[in-house]
Amino acid sequence: MSESQQDTRWQSQNPNPMAPRPSTFKAPDVLNYLCADCGAENGIKSGENIRCKECGHRVLYKPRTYRIVQFEAR
Amino acid sequence: MIDPLSPSSSKDHTTFHTLTRERAFRHPPSDRSDVPALDQLVAPHIESFNALLEGGTEDGRGLLAIGIEEVGEKVVFDGKENDGMPWGGKITYRIDKIAIGRPMVPEKDKLSVERRIFPSEARERLTSYRSRLTATIRWRYTGPDGESAEHEEIKDCGMLPIMVRSNRCNLRDLPATELIKRGDESSSFGGYFIVNGNEKIIRYLIVPRRHHPLNIYRPSFAKRGVSYTPYGCQIRCVRPDQSACTNTIHYLSNGGATLRFAWRKVEYMIPLMLILKALVNASDKEVFEGLIQGEYDNTFLTDRVELLLRGQKNWGLYTGTQCLDYLGEKFRVVLNVPEDWSNIQVGGFLLQKVVLVHLPSPRDKFRMLIFMLRKLYSLVSGATCADNPDSPQHHEVLLPGFLYGMIIKERFDDCLLAVKALIQKDLRENKAKDFKNPRYFTSVLSKTNWDIGNKLSYFLATGNLVSPTGLDLQQTSGYTIVAEKLNFYRYLSHFRCIHRGAFFAELKTTTVRKLLPESWGFLCPVHTPDGSPCGLLNHLSHTCKIVTASLDSSQIPALLSAHGMTQVFASTVDGRRMVVVQLDGRIIGWASPAKSKQLANFLRRQKTEGDSRVPLDMEIGYVPVTKGGQYPGLYLFTSRSRMMRPVTYLENGKVDHVGSFEQVYMDIACTPPEIEKGVSTHVELDPTSMLSVIANLTPFSDFNQSPRNMYQCQMGKQSMGTPSTAISKRTDNKMYRLQSGQTPVVRPDLHNHYGFDSFPNGTNAIVAVISYTGYDMEDAMILNKSAHERGFGYGTIYKSEIFDLASAPGSARRSKPTLHFGLGKDVKPEAPWRSFLSEDGLPHLGVKVKYGDPLCGYIDEIKGWTRVHKYKGDEVAYIDEVRLLGSDVGDSELQKVHIKLRIPRAAVIGDKFSSRHGQKGVCSQKYPTEDMPFTESGMQPDVIINPHAFPSRMTIGMFVESLAGKAGALHGIAQDATPFRFSDTDRPVDYFGEQLRMAGYNYYGNEPMYSGITGQEFSADIYIGLVYYQRLRHMVNDKFQVRTTGPVDPLTRQPVKGRKRAGGIRFGEMERDALIAHGTSFLLQDRLMNCSDYSTAWVCRTCGSLITLGFDDVTGDKTGRREYCRICDNTLIEDKIGEDDKKKVGMLVKGLNERKGEMDVVAVPYVFRYLCAEMACMGIKLNLTVT
Repeated sequence: MSESQQDTRWQSQNPNPMAPRPSTFKAPDVLNYLCADCGAENGIKSGENIRCKECGHRVLYKPRTYRIVQFEAR
Repeated sequence: MIDPLSPSSSKDHTTFHTLTRERAFRHPPSDRSDVPALDQLVAPHIESFNALLEGGTEDGRGLLAIGIEEVGEKVVFDGKENDGMPWGGKITYRIDKIAIGRPMVPEKDKLSVERRIFPSEARERLTSYRSRLTATIRWRYTGPDGESAEHEEIKDCGMLPIMVRSNRCNLRDLPATELIKRGDESSSFGGYFIVNGNEKIIRYLIVPRRHHPLNIYRPSFAKRGVSYTPYGCQIRCVRPDQSACTNTIHYLSNGGATLRFAWRKVEYMIPLMLILKALVNASDKEVFEGLIQGEYDNTFLTDRVELLLRGQKNWGLYTGTQCLDYLGEKFRVVLNVPEDWSNIQVGGFLLQKVVLVHLPSPRDKFRMLIFMLRKLYSLVSGATCADNPDSPQHHEVLLPGFLYGMIIKERFDDCLLAVKALIQKDLRENKAKDFKNPRYFTSVLSKTNWDIGNKLSYFLATGNLVSPTGLDLQQTSGYTIVAEKLNFYRYLSHFRCIHRGAFFAELKTTTVRKLLPESWGFLCPVHTPDGSPCGLLNHLSHTCKIVTASLDSSQIPALLSAHGMTQVFASTVDGRRMVVVQLDGRIIGWASPAKSKQLANFLRRQKTEGDSRVPLDMEIGYVPVTKGGQYPGLYLFTSRSRMMRPVTYLENGKVDHVGSFEQVYMDIACTPPEIEKGVSTHVELDPTSMLSVIANLTPFSDFNQSPRNMYQCQMGKQSMGTPSTAISKRTDNKMYRLQSGQTPVVRPDLHNHYGFDSFPNGTNAIVAVISYTGYDMEDAMILNKSAHERGFGYGTIYKSEIFDLASAPGSARRSKPTLHFGLGKDVKPEAPWRSFLSEDGLPHLGVKVKYGDPLCGYIDEIKGWTRVHKYKGDEVAYIDEVRLLGSDVGDSELQKVHIKLRIPRAAVIGDKFSSRHGQKGVCSQKYPTEDMPFTESGMQPDVIINPHAFPSRMTIGMFVESLAGKAGALHGIAQDATPFRFSDTDRPVDYFGEQLRMAGYNYYGNEPMYSGITGQEFSADIYIGLVYYQRLRHMVNDKFQVRTTGPVDPLTRQPVKGRKRAGGIRFGEMERDALIAHGTSFLLQDRLMNCSDYSTAWVCRTCGSLITLGFDDVTGDKTGRREYCRICDNTLIEDKIGEDDKKKVGMLVKGLNERKGEMDVVAVPYVFRYLCAEMACMGIKLNLTVT
């Protein structure tokens, strides 16, 4: 049984599956941070100054990860 | 009959305002703050700070401007004598202006769009909220030829911490919508400083009332010197810039009197007559007439005045100028005045700086000193009593802004003196070649430290007052507190607390802690902690205001003399008929007691009617003539820092403000029915106005025994609640949050008034009072497991982890950073660290961490490796927020992160809960819902408490709350629980019982219940109702301490102490006594030896020594070691062998002969072996007898 067949069968059994996810998570090269003042996304490379490129604010937040983090699924 | 479903007071009380509140949450007001009543509560903090810069006086100048004027000019001479000037060339310099900006982004930063800095940024970046302080310095050089040139320089004085929402704050007067936009709460009211990310409050301090002389009997006065007596008259005088100076007149047994003052923390005593003469060049007759005031037949008085005057003769100083000259000569060095001043000038300067500093005119000072001396004589003669310095009647409040201003002023004075010292040093070392060159002075200025902002930051951060003068205050530390946002109750009470002073905390006597009737309505009688700060740390009642504005009292003297007051310069005043009239410590006239009462009434009428000449916040202290009571007079106060509170004036039904001085002699009825015709002049606005905000929130507190209400005030401040409505913007070290907070069904009216619905503090719980299963013994409570699973009492702790690469090991100081956040190449793609941290070295948001997991990773550029900072907590936590903190200017790479950890804390067995009536208890069991008792309607309690919690504690309020809550829940109404609303004729039982009856329930709140286990009905009906429960922050997870084995102390090998280090709980002497008493010796052995520092040791059977073990390796048929005593063995050998062979001792094969030094193994505690070794060091031998 080929891999695609397996997929279709699984899908037929689960009519509303979750969106397919890449098997390994690939982190983006430049991480986007959110400005604490204006909320703009900021790609800050390592060694770059910490400040919003839109408004110049000096606090940035790290956004929530796209990885699945799930605990105590009881 | 009144409809029980609509309480008589107001219809408003019955609704929860759910829709109004919802609307307010969605659309906060855009023109005002969310809860204006809260702004009122902190107004004294903010207004006192505002007064520093504007509106300090009538002319609109700030207190700082007045302060620097008071600091005045400093003068330095170069000492090069010439004909024109005996002291040589002269530089005079002073501070001309002080300017404080608003917190702004530094000029260096070109990129920021928003130039203003808001408090939320300071909080998030863990910096201080401060703005630039600059001073304009003007100096003038006067040369020998009389030429002079004035120069000016603007000096940067560092960054000064600014009070949030003051007139230098960028949030000033912003409406709620704007506050939210700026990252603050909609109801944030300011009043604090932000230093290193912490919110700091300068707390109110009680200080003696200004400008009112106090007769004091203090035995320690007698120890001040020869012929000193315990009698004194003290007055605390305040300059226009709000800095104070205390003067005390001491009564001497030889009839004299001395004036005591402190200058730069050193106390000086000057004979009073010297000062009286120096002030106004007073003749003996003038002093005599002033003191006697027509009482020529009063021999007590005349004798003393005669002695006083005769005493003066010994000094040989007859005129005022002579006195001034004398004083000036003695004080010239101390006062550090310009060298070219004459002695008379110096003397005048002294009088101006230290004697009754609130009065500018020497004549007024003279009159006041005479008055004080008369008052003192009346104390000595017993005609009047000593005043109680612990009474709130003689108190006022040291306000944060005023203290802040005093410190700033003093720092500026210090800076100026430092400049003088530096110039004088240069002159001595002959370095000041170009003394007259303006550049020289500029260079001196730049060499002195002008960073005043830093000094104030230190003050706020530590609460330590570094001051050469002491600022006339009794303590040097403890001025500031952190405004903990544990919950809103606690946060709010920080702003309303008022401390008696650190000095009184050490006092053995408890008199200062007493609750005095004088404090009625100003200090809350309930809201004080129990324990060491009891009675010293009080809280203002919620209606109590503190005067911060300067009131216009200029019209008062004219008004009073127009209404019959004898003017102050009247030629003769009969002291037996007339009493004094004082306005802010200045004698403005004389009047007969009857007249002065009339004047008092007149003034009160005028001020309540809104006469612009008589300010509403003026205090009219009429002290009637009594026998052996307080010294009579009419004392008017319009000064700041006084506690005032609103009451209704019965005469015209208008609101009058009453102060703590005048209240003592007033008749204020508590409720309208208590008004006595012809006696009562005022009536309270509400009987609850004597309570603080927090004490007011205890429902039906008038039904409780009073200590229980005190406990509730404590516990309300410890409960998990809603610390803030802007949690995502906060970086507090530790924050407690109750996830399932509710608005209480039973709440006092003030709950709405102060907007407590924004900050829920507990949960409504169905409470059954029943002894069930025994798990509710001794203040334990049983929690319904299903209630718990539905989220009852579910809480969260937020902890902050701040990681700064600048202080991490291996960081480069003062150069480009060599540590960078990130994961290097040495961390392999499949490394476990990668599951916590992303490429940037920061944790994924939402990831779960436990002990030892990495929180962030950083690359060491020099060593080329990646290190991680690990999570050290014992509990499982989740990464909630990660903040990347930039530098002030935003010109540095990432060096500091703030990681907020979320620790879930569901209620577990051992967690503490309490109702709002001081009834705390520990959860002992989460009982399955199927085993809980149930009522006929199928209701199950959420909480079961034991009936034994009530008889001794008498918290009837809790019963009433239970009843009211039940009725409220059944009818869907909020119940007004304001105290003093019910009476014996209108009982709450009837009111709420009727409501229950109408809902089809038992009138008294009892219900038949069935056992959840057997299903049988209980033989007694159970009292079941609805009570608001708080979850307290004391949780077992923070407290439990168990160990079987674990770390031991290296020296003693005993278990270490301390929960943090996984140590044990000490099994102490008393526990040991108990085991001995029980004869359980095996247990004793087990606890103190086997489970502690059990060890085995070799002991010599002969000499009993523990420390003389020696052993040989034995080869042969018996391979192994052979132990021997090195003392006993040696003596044996020495006996055997001769002197000659002594050298061969080492070579001798031991163990061939029979020897004494036989060793045995015994079990001893390790510390004992340590003791033996320590003793041996001192040459003491310890022997064991081995049998």
